Amino acid sequence: MSLLRIDNLHVSVAGKAIIKGLNLAVEAGEVHAVMGPNGSGKSTLANVLAGRPGYDIDAGSFALDDVDLRPQSPEERAQLGLFLAFQYPVEIPGVSNMEFLKAAIDARAFRNGEDAPSAVEFVTQARETATRLGLSADFLKRGVNEGFSGGEKKRNELLQMLLLQPRMAILDETDSGLDIDALQVVADGVNAFRSENNAVLLVTHYQRLLNFVIPDRVHVLTDGKVVHSGDSSLALELEERGYGWLNG
Amino acid sequence: MAGSTVEDALAERLLALPPSNYAPWRDRRAALDVIEREGLPNPRSESWRHTNIRRWYEAAGACPAFHEVPDNRETDFVSAADGICVEGFVNAGVAALLAEHGGLTSNAAIAPLAAMNALLLGAGVVIRAQGGCATTPVRIGVSPAEFQHLLIVVEPGAAVTVIEEPASYTHRIVQAVVAPGGVLSHWRRQAESDGRECSMVAVRVDAGGEYRLAQSSRGADLRRNDIQVTLAGKGATATIDGIWRLDGRDHLDNQVTVSHSAGEGFSRQTYRGVAAGHSRAILDGRIHIAPAADATDASLSTKNLLASDDAQVFAKPTLEIHASDVKCSHGATVGALDDMAVHYLRSRGIVEAAARALLMDGFLRDAIADEEGAQQLHLTTAA
Repeated sequence: MSLLRIDNLHVSVAGKAIIKGLNLAVEAGEVHAVMGPNGSGKSTLANVLAGRPGYDIDAGSFALDDVDLRPQSPEERAQLGLFLAFQYPVEIPGVSNMEFLKAAIDARAFRNGEDAPSAVEFVTQARETATRLGLSADFLKRGVNEGFSGGEKKRNELLQMLLLQPRMAILDETDSGLDIDALQVVADGVNAFRSENNAVLLVTHYQRLLNFVIPDRVHVLTDGKVVHSGDSSLALELEERGYGWLNG
Repeated sequence: MAGSTVEDALAERLLALPPSNYAPWRDRRAALDVIEREGLPNPRSESWRHTNIRRWYEAAGACPAFHEVPDNRETDFVSAADGICVEGFVNAGVAALLAEHGGLTSNAAIAPLAAMNALLLGAGVVIRAQGGCATTPVRIGVSPAEFQHLLIVVEPGAAVTVIEEPASYTHRIVQAVVAPGGVLSHWRRQAESDGRECSMVAVRVDAGGEYRLAQSSRGADLRRNDIQVTLAGKGATATIDGIWRLDGRDHLDNQVTVSHSAGEGFSRQTYRGVAAGHSRAILDGRIHIAPAADATDASLSTKNLLASDDAQVFAKPTLEIHASDVKCSHGATVGALDDMAVHYLRSRGIVEAAARALLMDGFLRDAIADEEGAQQLHLTTAA
């Protein structure tokens, strides 16, 4: 049983086909990278898995731990263990990061029939994790992503991932717009998260994150399909040769 | 005057009232004059365009103030800390203060209602902050009187916080005078109610004085707040934050005017509201800058969320500027919750209804810049 399994997926947006027969299987303990040129359908794949409205699934299926995700709401998918680090995290003035994180943790605990962590436990853990990501203490008190720099927004996505400990983490271009130090912090976060009990899908345009997070498999997405897969050396080859040679 | 309409009939009843034995020293003539001369506003009056005042007349006309002598323990509902002097209108000693600061408003739209208040008054209290900084807030609680009048006098250099707790009434006047260098922090909490109530806040701020108002309102069957702040002295400031959350058939009408009549004044008005169900929210916000008020800095912003197809929002900012050297701005928006923000929260496992509630709370809280105000209005975040 694959942790994440996508079969013959076809997705369109406003009548325009974007994903055209995509297959992918990710096993527990694995990190996969999905690379591809602009417009190849990488972000659409990430968004459709997370249940963002506006995407039509025309054919095919996808499942997490053999649970068909298609009929599940975005919150149900999250509670089943799916996590998407957004390419463009949303700013929510007036709602503190702490309040937001606590609501998310409590929702997951409720779903799992567990007791929610106490406020003290939660705050302690959130602070430790924030510190590990190089975020200051006042960061948790600020409005969600409000006035955060690009790098802070991406680190905030990582913070959520580390606190929520999903089964399947999808990172949609989390590396874009980061300087080298921030990239290293993000990579350290992903490496710390990796375990035999979860899996990671890195959606990225560039190879450089893969210098720090070594993927088990690399897939090239072109025109809505996986046209080539390989091991981590494929990323280096793409960096050297671009995507053009795969189209022929 | 012919008693052909609801308001005419009510005016006749008011004019025929025997003198009240509540604070008998009060001169009722001015109030009677206003009602005789102006009559009572009717639903066609411009400033009552969105609020059917006849529905309030029904409540006012049925209230016991027409028939009963109020209880004389009327200061009980005000709790004050040391250094604050609280006296009831039954005490003729407050006459001079009332004569100086507690006159009837000249605003024609609400003057007859203020006159009604004077005739039907059941609880009148003068709150005086006489110097220094009062650390414990003054709390205005629940009084059985339907018509109430609070006069707050902040003497030079004094600072005080006054909190209006949720309470039902038919009409309440809060008048305040902030003397030079004084600070008045005024937090108003208006709870969900099926009553019909009007309130009037009239504040004068003298040179270098500061007035801070934060008002948090839930809906009522009919709720109207007329707020008038006059920055009368050089360098006076006013910060007004108002939020509301309405549902069902709630009706809330906020009419706010900030008048700059002296130079170098500063005012900020920030409003945020959420209207759901079949509710109606009205914000009529005005900034008036007199010819003498050069170097004024004034702004008004109102943002509204419509949370259902049947809710209505009327947001009208108005600027009236008679001075040349001023900085003045306004903005009004009406919109819906950001779908991407809802999705973002749901993608973290927060169910849709909770996500929407969290976003609405955040939207409202964002309006209250004043941390003390936010705390007193129970709007603090979990962090």
